[in-house]
Amino acid sequence: MAIELSAVRYRYAGASKTALGSVDLSVEPGRVLGIVGANESGKSTLCLVAGGLAPRAIGGRLEGSVRIDGADTAAMRSHELAQRCGLLFQNAAAQLSGTTGTVYEEVAFGPCNLGLAVADVIERVWWALGTVGVEDLAPRDPARLSGGQAQLVALASVLALRPRYLILDEPTSELDPAGTALVADALARVARETGAGILLVEHKTDVLARIADDVAVLADGSVALAGPAAEVLADPRLAGFGVEPPARVRLEREVRASGLEWSAALAEAIE
Amino acid sequence: MGLLRRWVARQFTTRVIVLMPVGIAINIVLGSTVQQALKLPIYLDSIGTILVGVLAGPLAGALTGILANLIWGYLLPAPIGTSTIGPFAITAGVIGLLAGFWGQLGLFRPRRAGGASIAAAAIAAILVGALALYTYARAYASPEAFVNITGFQATDFDRSRIFFLAIMVLYVALVGTALYLRRDVGAVFAIGAGLVTGIVAAVVSAPIASIVFGGVTGSGTDALVAAFRSGGDSIYQATLKQGLLSDPLDKMITSFVVFFILGSLSRRFVARFPNGEKALGHEAETDTVQTAKG
Amino acid sequence: MSQASVAAGRGLPEYVTRRPGGFYRSVNPSTKLAIAALEVVAAFAVPGWPVPIAILAVVVATAVAARRLRGLVVVALAASPIIGSILLVNLFLLPGASDPIVRLGPLAPTWSGLWFGLQTVLRLFAFSAAITLVYLTTAIDDLLADLARRGLGRRAVFVVGAAVQMVPRTVERAAEIVDAQRARGLDTEGRFWRRARGVLPLAAPVVFGALTEVEERTMALEARAFSAPGRQTRLRVPVDGAMDRALRWAAIVALVAVVGLRIVGKLG
Repeated sequence: MAIELSAVRYRYAGASKTALGSVDLSVEPGRVLGIVGANESGKSTLCLVAGGLAPRAIGGRLEGSVRIDGADTAAMRSHELAQRCGLLFQNAAAQLSGTTGTVYEEVAFGPCNLGLAVADVIERVWWALGTVGVEDLAPRDPARLSGGQAQLVALASVLALRPRYLILDEPTSELDPAGTALVADALARVARETGAGILLVEHKTDVLARIADDVAVLADGSVALAGPAAEVLADPRLAGFGVEPPARVRLEREVRASGLEWSAALAEAIE
Repeated sequence: MGLLRRWVARQFTTRVIVLMPVGIAINIVLGSTVQQALKLPIYLDSIGTILVGVLAGPLAGALTGILANLIWGYLLPAPIGTSTIGPFAITAGVIGLLAGFWGQLGLFRPRRAGGASIAAAAIAAILVGALALYTYARAYASPEAFVNITGFQATDFDRSRIFFLAIMVLYVALVGTALYLRRDVGAVFAIGAGLVTGIVAAVVSAPIASIVFGGVTGSGTDALVAAFRSGGDSIYQATLKQGLLSDPLDKMITSFVVFFILGSLSRRFVARFPNGEKALGHEAETDTVQTAKG
Repeated sequence: MSQASVAAGRGLPEYVTRRPGGFYRSVNPSTKLAIAALEVVAAFAVPGWPVPIAILAVVVATAVAARRLRGLVVVALAASPIIGSILLVNLFLLPGASDPIVRLGPLAPTWSGLWFGLQTVLRLFAFSAAITLVYLTTAIDDLLADLARRGLGRRAVFVVGAAVQMVPRTVERAAEIVDAQRARGLDTEGRFWRRARGVLPLAAPVVFGALTEVEERTMALEARAFSAPGRQTRLRVPVDGAMDRALRWAAIVALVAVVGLRIVGKLG
């Protein structure tokens, strides 16, 4: 029971270089897998491939297999895919349908597309809004939300389809620290309460330090490092891959380097 | 029947469904805000229609044009919305339909200057010129005009020649500008397609304008209509003549803008549309590393 | 869990169902469309004065009762350039007219021209007013919801809904682009040729800006099961009472009758 990428290689249409070269990854239910890497390392490509959008929606050549709970994504229709694996991108505004007048109807968009009964739609909308923690936004106009709020609404809209997995491509990159914290907390809550497996691509390693269980480092389209989050994020090779370690790790290094003692209490103080 | 249904379904992928509102918005915004800023006697309100037609196909293009006019005329509040636009939805639909066919014929494709393409461009230009010559000679030398303005025969023929020459000069000027800006022989085809579209648009609009509005639409060109009517033309004749002067110019410029824009869009973006492949040239890919965010 | 079932028991919140109230505003949108269609067709198919005048009277009366007269007046005023053109052109230049009101040198306004011009103007007013009334008394969401209930597909509903929401945003962006280009030296007041050179620098950024999000929006729609088969669930279903249905059918029957009589030539 997982999203499994086996020996996945992917090349964009018309490109000469492969974007992903032999990636083996799995996303387990209830766990958050963080993905870091330098620009152009293949992180966004990984999201599209794992989410089944590549090559389906954008062309290109895929080798290897991508399976969700054992089923090949290539064989699924896009609405079946949407119910198993939810996708979120950076630009929150572009993910709102642009046709609804209230957040409630926006979150209901997905279930309505599936043709569910009105009672089911209502239940799912409140459940999704509640899990993400934005019930009070329900009457608001989606076009007038802040970046962080819009991203949360987008998350709720995708959750309303009850996917077992979520793939997020740098959801906080356009948000300020307050918005980032909102989204990070919401994701942690989603993983905890719904048991969803989350694949989270992030530049902000602090976010991953807070909510990720495992982290994989991508470099030049393949996995260079992988393991439990605490280990990988503290790995000295991280900077070599173009990834800035979380503040906690950097501080610990500085403290040790200047000969002082580092204790767990200090760590607690910064969190 | 299945073939037809597949042809229809092919043109309405989700991507096209997302593109159409953008095309509609482009039409309306360029036709109102930019039009007001520049105050030129051209409409600029078909750029979205033609773009969608070339990228997605005739049906999508036609619907974009029709819906744009209807929404502009009847679903938007006053400063933007204008009530005279609505009936011309038919014309807009025809423009979109034609744009789809031009797109499928690859007329908006960039073409590097080379022996074969220059020869093809020359032939295309001659064909377009011949069509325009025929249209203008017929339109401006009408039997009614002869009956009403006896003794004006010579002037009438001269007038049609003058207008025809004016349109041809504009055609050449636009192609020249396009060549200067893009060094691309495809401009001859694209702007030629615009000229043909303009002629067809004028022919389709004339009956609408004369039946619904009595030949006037409140724009500056009404003076022209008046001038033709004072020469004895019927409402329809006058509207047609006015249309044949303004529409080809308008659609040539519009097609020029669309051609330019298509050439500036990323290959990847264009290729994913139903007719995208036909809108791309065969130049080698220059960028090798591609990201999803590109 | 409990909150969800409580909510489900509550049904749809008020801000979602948004039932419109007020005279004519509460009439079913498709009924209003049918009535407007009848008015428009009748205005052009039936020759003579009485019908356009009657239609205009009915529309204005309805607008007054629905407290939307001001909207109609705004539209009428916006149409004044056209009205002026039509009257002037026909007054002086109606072909074949030979009953001058007065001779002013080379210009001879004619009575036939005046009547024809006035009739055209009247028809135009009736046509615009009938359609504007629908716009003034109907929310677009309601109209789309009603059409969707009658079978309009989710794709068409999306295209119209998204376009209407997108236009104001794109207008703002275009205004910014115009200002920015003006600051860079773009000439919008000068001679014709200079202004013409402004077409590309203004049109291109507007188009590019509007196209940027197409890719992501497409993926977002797919991620929300937009391509799922079957009928989309409609949360909002405008009321369609017996009176609404009766009016609608009466309008449609009358419309067909008018068209038929016109084709057959019975209307003169």
